[in-house]
Amino acid sequence: MNIAFVTDSTADIPGNYLDQYPIHVVPNILMIKGKSFEDGKEITREAFYRDLPNIKPSPTTGTASIGVYQQLYEKLFQQGFQYIFSIHASKLLSGIYNTAKSAAQSFYERVQVIDSQQLTLGLGFQVLAAAEAAARGASLEMVQKIIEDVRKRARVYAMLDTLEYVRRSGRVSWAKARVSNLLRIKPFIELRYGNVLSLGVTRTRKKGIEQLKKFLLSLGPIERLAILHTNAEMDAIEFLNNITIETPMEPFIVNVNTVIGSHVGPNGLGFATVIK
Amino acid sequence: MSANPQIHNHQDNLTHKEINGQDLKKLVEASLTWLRTNQQIVNSLNVFPVPDGDTGTNMVLTMQAAFDEVKDSSEENLGEIAHTIAHGALMGARGNSGVILSQIWRGFARSVDNLPTMDTPNFVKAITVARDTAYKGVVRPVEGTILTVIKDLASKAESALDVTDNLVSMLELLVEEANASVQRTPELLPVLKEANVVDSGGKGLYFIFDGMLRYINGEVLDVTDAKVKPLAEMALANTMEQIEPGQDFEVVVDFRPQKELDLSIFYDNLEQMGTSIQVGEGDGIYRMHIHVPTENLYKPIDYTRDLGVVTKVAIENLIDQMENQQGGCNRTQPTITPIQPGHIAVIAVSPGVGISRVFASLGVAAIVEGGQTMNPSTQEIIHAFEKLPTDKIIILPNNKNIILTAKSATELSVKKVAVVPTSSIPQGLTAMMRLIPSGDFDSVIDEMNAAIEEVQTGEITIATRSVEIDGVEVEEGQVIGLLNGKLVLSTSSLDEACLGILEAAHAQDYELITLFYGADLPKKDIPILENLIQEKYPDQEIEIQEGCQPHYYLIISIE
Repeated sequence: MNIAFVTDSTADIPGNYLDQYPIHVVPNILMIKGKSFEDGKEITREAFYRDLPNIKPSPTTGTASIGVYQQLYEKLFQQGFQYIFSIHASKLLSGIYNTAKSAAQSFYERVQVIDSQQLTLGLGFQVLAAAEAAARGASLEMVQKIIEDVRKRARVYAMLDTLEYVRRSGRVSWAKARVSNLLRIKPFIELRYGNVLSLGVTRTRKKGIEQLKKFLLSLGPIERLAILHTNAEMDAIEFLNNITIETPMEPFIVNVNTVIGSHVGPNGLGFATVIK
Repeated sequence: MSANPQIHNHQDNLTHKEINGQDLKKLVEASLTWLRTNQQIVNSLNVFPVPDGDTGTNMVLTMQAAFDEVKDSSEENLGEIAHTIAHGALMGARGNSGVILSQIWRGFARSVDNLPTMDTPNFVKAITVARDTAYKGVVRPVEGTILTVIKDLASKAESALDVTDNLVSMLELLVEEANASVQRTPELLPVLKEANVVDSGGKGLYFIFDGMLRYINGEVLDVTDAKVKPLAEMALANTMEQIEPGQDFEVVVDFRPQKELDLSIFYDNLEQMGTSIQVGEGDGIYRMHIHVPTENLYKPIDYTRDLGVVTKVAIENLIDQMENQQGGCNRTQPTITPIQPGHIAVIAVSPGVGISRVFASLGVAAIVEGGQTMNPSTQEIIHAFEKLPTDKIIILPNNKNIILTAKSATELSVKKVAVVPTSSIPQGLTAMMRLIPSGDFDSVIDEMNAAIEEVQTGEITIATRSVEIDGVEVEEGQVIGLLNGKLVLSTSSLDEACLGILEAAHAQDYELITLFYGADLPKKDIPILENLIQEKYPDQEIEIQEGCQPHYYLIISIE
């Protein structure tokens, strides 16, 4: 069966994989001073993170419209695809899933919308594994099983440079409670069960990076790895160089998309992985 | 966009006849305008961590897309216009509330399909179909949201049909119900109640209906309601509000205008001067509230004097107020965020209110006052945690003289109590940072125990008597410095003591130096000391915190 994959720009799948597989990425919307930009298209990540601390009021984010999803599904069916998996950012953190779900209604059983319960490559790895399987000729049921299986094994950890952006985003209840954030702190977060969990804080970057390594090594053998950062490429490279860990696939280094980035702020460092 | 502010009454047009496509178009435009006016109010309610983007913005964009589809249409047929609106809403729907709103329009349009005009029973039917469609569009409907509001509206509409067949009266009843329904949302959705807000999507839907009614009644649509409230609701000074950078003063003026006030001109002029504008009215007296930068301090007063008789003026320096609110050693203990039942609760012993504030900001469940010269009793420590809704308790004594007291508290409680033997404030804070409230009790304790080794503690105080310890000779009244509890120097100046401690700690190998200054240290000395340290340690970050601890001039954390 001819299967297409749709995801959104929070998946952070590197461009070369998009050429290799039938994966279609719908850009989310970034609103800066009343003007909307397509995530990843009209503004570079480098420039965005550089300017982010000075953008007032803070940028807001949005999903593409139902119409955009409908048109894409329509187009893919016209191109001859028989089935679509539409895999998206955690629905507890974003409205993207619901938008795709509404758009899929008119296509009956031919579009399956899936909540990845993840963000960035925690989502991207699910899409990639599914697309690879489909390319090998896996059946619909098999592809679906693989998505579920990778979802269970996907882990995302990060150290943010400040709590400020997460707190402002209003999406994370524990961050909201810490209104009078007196000390300069860098929170550790984990994406789990679709939500953002707190893993404590640190005050210094060096110790924070050590702690991140500990988190990664505590996961045991892994299958895939991506080092995530928001304009902290040097730290990301160093992090990768300083860990001895075996992965069957070459790890990537990703400057995280601006839609997630506007909720976590610049200078963050983390990783997404699929454990064995 | 020109639905307003021309103020004339549209009631006649709509009371006696059925409404057609063009009438519906005007109502949608009014809804959009009113929703946009109140967009920030809706956005500010957006604490439910589901929607992508701000609810107010999403709903405005959805309504905008709906209106854009019919903006240039001269179609008279109501069913046609409703379908076009629904199509626009669907194409433009953003966020959860936007999606549900588009489903509401979809159901509405389906119900009035082929109707050239709509009377009150048609309208009521359309609202009920809108409700059904909205519920079907959501995989797992959650009550206490926009869904509940549309449901309550549909029930109200059906029951009100016995009372009135007048569309305007019906709309009045629905707006009233929408408001009441929104107010009830926190009762249905605990997360709203916790955050002390009403549901944002529901509130947006209220503004949509209210915008229609306001248009019919000829009320302004581009000035937010919140700005004109009863005088009684406006306190003279709202000390707790958020302050935008650059707005240094709050100015409140009471005045009696000579002639009737043109509110839209009044607001336009005030907006040139500052932000956070509110106007209240009662018994012919107006109260105007505004935040202004220093250079505009007297402008609002001069302006209102031109309009009438000023009866009272109040000016507050906001910056100063904020600083006072945040700091000060004469304050009572800070507010503690309540812990979740069953989570791990940390009890910290703190010698000063400034340090307590820092512990509170990191999420401790209770603070026990105490320190070097005022050791708390076992009873006081137990008292701090026995009423907490959890049996997992960690005590941070933060002083070596309190560790034993804390340990005996563990033996006297039925709860699971552990002591992480922190012997200084920096150790206590470092341990606190490893807290994962929902985490595994034993691993959190292990993490905390490991963390206390990662920080060095400097303490600077005055010798109370002459003595020689650890090879350091001390005379009474001298400044002495301790590193990790050990006496390392005595000197005549605070600066020397501070630099000496940093040197002994090899501060150049660390990243961050935090100074907690005590209640007895003159504030004016702090910037000088900070510069001195920064000069010597240009690569280290330096953070200054008011600690308010007695006796100790400085507690220094080196990490």
